[in-house]
Amino acid sequence: MASADGGAYSYSLTVFSPSGKLVQIEHALAVVAGGTTSLGIKASNGIVIATEKKTSSILIDDSMLDKVSVICPNIGIVYSGMGPDSRVLISKARKCAQAYWKMHGEYPPTRVLVQEVATIMQQATQSGGVRPYGVSLLIAGWDINRGQSLYQVDPSGSFWAWKASAIGKNMVNAKTFLEKRYNDDISLEDAIHTALLTLKEGFEGQMTEKTIEIGVVTIPTPEELELGKADAATGRPKPTFRKLTEEEVRDYLAL
Amino acid sequence: MSIMEYNGGSVIAMVGKECVAIACDLRLGNQALGISSKFEKIFPVTDKLYVGLPGLATDVTTLKELFRYRVNMYTIKEEREIEPDTFAHLVSSTLYERRFGPYFIEPVMAGISTTPGGKVKPFIAATDLIGCLNFAKDFVVAGTASSKLFGVAEGLWEPDLEPEDLFETISQTMLNAVDRDAYSGWGTMVYVITKDKVIQRTLKGRMD
Amino acid sequence: METSFAITGKGYTIVASDTTAARSIVKMKVDEDRIKVLSSHLLMACSGEPGDTIQFSEFVERNIRLFQIRNNYSLKPSAAAAWIRRSLAQSLRSRKPYSVNLLLGGYDTTSHRPHLYWVDYLGTMTEVPFAAHGYGSYFVLSLLDKYHDPEAPLEEGLAVLKRCMDEVAKRLIVNPSAYKIKIVDKDGVREIEL
Repeated sequence: MASADGGAYSYSLTVFSPSGKLVQIEHALAVVAGGTTSLGIKASNGIVIATEKKTSSILIDDSMLDKVSVICPNIGIVYSGMGPDSRVLISKARKCAQAYWKMHGEYPPTRVLVQEVATIMQQATQSGGVRPYGVSLLIAGWDINRGQSLYQVDPSGSFWAWKASAIGKNMVNAKTFLEKRYNDDISLEDAIHTALLTLKEGFEGQMTEKTIEIGVVTIPTPEELELGKADAATGRPKPTFRKLTEEEVRDYLAL
Repeated sequence: MSIMEYNGGSVIAMVGKECVAIACDLRLGNQALGISSKFEKIFPVTDKLYVGLPGLATDVTTLKELFRYRVNMYTIKEEREIEPDTFAHLVSSTLYERRFGPYFIEPVMAGISTTPGGKVKPFIAATDLIGCLNFAKDFVVAGTASSKLFGVAEGLWEPDLEPEDLFETISQTMLNAVDRDAYSGWGTMVYVITKDKVIQRTLKGRMD
Repeated sequence: METSFAITGKGYTIVASDTTAARSIVKMKVDEDRIKVLSSHLLMACSGEPGDTIQFSEFVERNIRLFQIRNNYSLKPSAAAAWIRRSLAQSLRSRKPYSVNLLLGGYDTTSHRPHLYWVDYLGTMTEVPFAAHGYGSYFVLSLLDKYHDPEAPLEEGLAVLKRCMDEVAKRLIVNPSAYKIKIVDKDGVREIEL
């Protein structure tokens, strides 16, 4: 019982250990801590989320790998941890966003989507026959009410809003680095460079447009806001979240 | 005998200059027999948005409660008040959930919203009983007197009416239209919604 | 041919219902009590499909009592009415709806006001100063339009009620032989003979 690995308590997900821990959740956090580094920085005029894309062999075609995902036109997610688990959460998040759109005729505010995803992750810590998701997420989005906001969601289902955060391998170092570099009126351009510099710390191998993924949130102009939610030509809202193309990433790396 | 005409009742909404108005009659009947002259069909959603629910009276109450529940949940979850166009979509999807066993109600909504630039945008909309939205620029009608309301409103309404003129227009439209309808009438209730206040008045009507 | 009606006055609500239980053209019973006492200050007159009235009124009665036992206080008339209405509205869209029409008379001991709700089997509900169900309603409602006074003392209220019963007796082809009359006011519920 008192063994170092948590003993009998480490198997049943729903049983607290005498010290008040759910060890399976701690193990899930360990998976995340072993995953590739991801980070997010909230700027005065947007947000950047970035991650390192590591492949185990040069033979793998990395053009198929996606670690930064679009959820809906105003929200994007980057993860650290288990790829398969993240895909499940991403597809659930996308479904949530579409269900919200069906009901309300607009895409969800960031906070609402974060709550939905966090609820899904929490349920995996209390249901029978399942294990917690082995990922932490950084969710970045823009909405009319709160503007740009950056959230982190953990396997336990707890979430926080950050000005800047990092998850995965080297997260402690990365966060210390971000603490030094961050200020409240940083611009999006500066934030993207800070993000790259932070990733560079402890980056194994060469940083190229193939090994880096970046997503950005931009904020609409006052004129665009005045026009309302939908673009007159397409009838769809103008996206505020997008992934940077390989060319764009290359240009940022060259600077 | 149509279910939509079982209890009687009508609602109308109109757009004015930086204001909107919505009005309903107060009759509740059992076919031709009058039961109550205090049956309101308009309910507040937020302080700048009202919804009118003409149709089968049991569904008036049920939907009033259902919308109140959904809007309350929205307000708590999102930590903000619902916007008129969002509420219109909520109404539409709520009704369409019962596509093959509908609530016998044709909702009418009226409210105003403010753009990020501070411009006041009047909003009116109506749906049919399964939630097909109609965003009108001038006026919308529903209920047993809808055909009469259309006629009178077509004649009286003009663009950019000030709140007091809009009140007069919607009141005269309502009072005169329901006099030609046996299932509507027995008094009228009018709301005029402006940027900073809501004027609510109860009008006496013919009691026959 | 079941008739029930009710009126409110100064601090009281009177509910009256005929006591005839008929099946087709036959009077089966002439002392049927259609007015259930739901709580110390709440009355409910039921009419409609014979089996349904009993089933539904007992269902309501037990649930109101259950609330009382669980929470140590009674529902206010407005709250009880809302619950009963919802039960009927839900039943309407079920496989076999109850066909029960109700008059709910109560006295709110918190605000010291009498209340009367007209409810039909669809779940339509409205608060009214006076109400009626059944064939008698066609005569009684127009009579009450003229003679009802919401501020009338009990004696006057009973006089108006008598008028209503006389009118039904005069104009309805099958006139009810007797009425059960119950009053609810600040002292609770009591039955009277007229």
